[in-house]
Amino acid sequence: MRRSSTDKATHSHLRQHNRQLLLRALYSGLADNRAALAQETGLAKPTVSEVISELIEEGLLVEEGRGQSTEEGGKRPRLLKFVPTARHVIGISLDEERAYGALAILNGQIVAQHYVELAGAQGEAVVDAVLEVINGLIAQLDAPLLCIGIGVSGIVDAEQGLVEVAPHLGWRSVPLAALLNARYGVPIYIAHRTELAAMAQFVYGPTNGINSLAMVLVGTGVGVGLVINGAIYHGGGEIGHLFLSTPRPGNGHEDRLEARLGWVAVRQRAESLRREYPGSRLPGEGERLTYLHIRHAAANGDPAALALLDELSGYLAHIFAWIIGLLRPDHMALAGPITNLGTMLLDRTVERTQHLILPALTQHITYSLADAPNLVALGAVAHALQRELGLV
Amino acid sequence: MKRQLGIITNDQHDVFQRNVISGVCDVAARRGYTVVIDSYAEEGTPPRPITLDYRAMAGVLVVANAAPIGLLQEMLAAGKPLSLVSHQVPELPIPAVFADNTQGIVELVKHVVERCNRRQLAYIGGLHGQRDSHEREAAFVREVMRYNLPDPYFLRGDFSTTTAAESVRELVQSGAEFDAIIAADYRMGAAAVETLRAAGIAVPDQVSVVGFGDAPEAEAAGLTTVAADVVEQGRRAARQLISQIEGLRIRGVTVLSVRLVIRETCGCRAKQII
Repeated sequence: MRRSSTDKATHSHLRQHNRQLLLRALYSGLADNRAALAQETGLAKPTVSEVISELIEEGLLVEEGRGQSTEEGGKRPRLLKFVPTARHVIGISLDEERAYGALAILNGQIVAQHYVELAGAQGEAVVDAVLEVINGLIAQLDAPLLCIGIGVSGIVDAEQGLVEVAPHLGWRSVPLAALLNARYGVPIYIAHRTELAAMAQFVYGPTNGINSLAMVLVGTGVGVGLVINGAIYHGGGEIGHLFLSTPRPGNGHEDRLEARLGWVAVRQRAESLRREYPGSRLPGEGERLTYLHIRHAAANGDPAALALLDELSGYLAHIFAWIIGLLRPDHMALAGPITNLGTMLLDRTVERTQHLILPALTQHITYSLADAPNLVALGAVAHALQRELGLV
Repeated sequence: MKRQLGIITNDQHDVFQRNVISGVCDVAARRGYTVVIDSYAEEGTPPRPITLDYRAMAGVLVVANAAPIGLLQEMLAAGKPLSLVSHQVPELPIPAVFADNTQGIVELVKHVVERCNRRQLAYIGGLHGQRDSHEREAAFVREVMRYNLPDPYFLRGDFSTTTAAESVRELVQSGAEFDAIIAADYRMGAAAVETLRAAGIAVPDQVSVVGFGDAPEAEAAGLTTVAADVVEQGRRAARQLISQIEGLRIRGVTVLSVRLVIRETCGCRAKQII
């Protein structure tokens, strides 16, 4: 019988699926020998043995010792152990200032980091920077490179591996995945930065036993990342240009989320509040102002800083409320430079969110500040591991 | 004939440089390279010019600021693969390997504030304009704000034990109240401990002292510090250089994580015993 291309595709998808099923069961400790794996995954024993042999040959698994025999007695099963150091994964975060990369082993532990400052680079020069970061990490490889994950801002087509537009990088229709795959010969997984940050918080954050997570990331702009049923929901989250309320005539831009929460707007608002409250400790015009300065002032009872915190938590509460109403995620996380305002901001935001929405809806939701450094790169690693090995 | 890696350093016997070189030699041996060291300003001998025949090298590694920018430019123009250890020249596209200064300071401040319950900090800085110094101090300032600590004292250190000791003495004499010193390197940290004790101040009971970087000297002083594995830094620099020799284009910085090494001078252990 002639094999059609569909047959072939199905066959390899099935193999990939079985590999991932078995790896995930082993990695998460659900089973540690062939018989238990067959039981846990529902796969036939010969299939399990075949895939396990493959994985052992590739170095991803080792046999180590023998376990307890089953209740029926008989041979003690050979124990199988996952080898996290068998492969490396690279996770890259590309933002306006730099290209940053983390080299990780298969359990997500980072073993090396490398970055290149962009210094205003555009177009080709940014692609070069990405290559230099990857090369910098390839120089530190201790094991074969499995795959690369990359987080970018802008409009990203994750399925095609294409960056449709990233204005701050001067990128338009850049086939980043194809480009890098041609150069390095490994699978490349591209996604939006905010999605990957959400994934990082989902996998590595204080988020046990949840299925879905929504992350609001506030920095120069405002975006949302979603993890639904354990996987990134791609393509959503571009809410920065949306309005908090119907704009009054002539007020085209003022009420957009970005115009309230984006850093430029926050800085301007801090300045006007500082003038409104003479004696405020906030740094003035010409002086350096960061979120940490605002936090420090607020912690010391500065009225301008506290007023600003209050306003910001109000906008965030609206965003949180809409997301909760729409999705009922298990967990809400706040990320981006705004997290430097600390738990004061999150607490106030949660409080106000609960006033905006039916209590029954927020009852079991947990919240966190996602302020770990390198969140996007970590998320890129987690995403790549999930897609490639089904590990996460 | 084996390919050669050149190392330009000022004093190969200095503990930091010795460890870097050890790491470089380790990787070089495994990858089939020999190492030529030009160590031109060793203690006890008069400094001499750099004589490394860089053209005969497959690539050159420079430790800290051992090579003047003119020489770096010359080697770069000659197409020589280069790597820098703990140094960066912003105008030149030469990659470097650095310890994670920010992570180190974050860990130190976290430890001193959360575990050792200190709040009135004094910071002994390194060399003005030097990159490690700058990063560490910037991170320190951020952490002070994050923890909402009272304004800290900034002491001059210049990475010199004499300067550090002098600054600490001045602080003590001024009658200022402080309960912890964070030093930008371990030598200044050890000097601070000595100076405080000589002035009758109990370390760690009255004042916690922590430093940056680790060596037998820090261990001897019982100094709590953050340690970069300097031998590993050498290994990474060698790999970075060899990958460039083998054709990979690399720019930017490879960062090495540091880890907190808890000893006696911070005081958290003493509290546990009680």
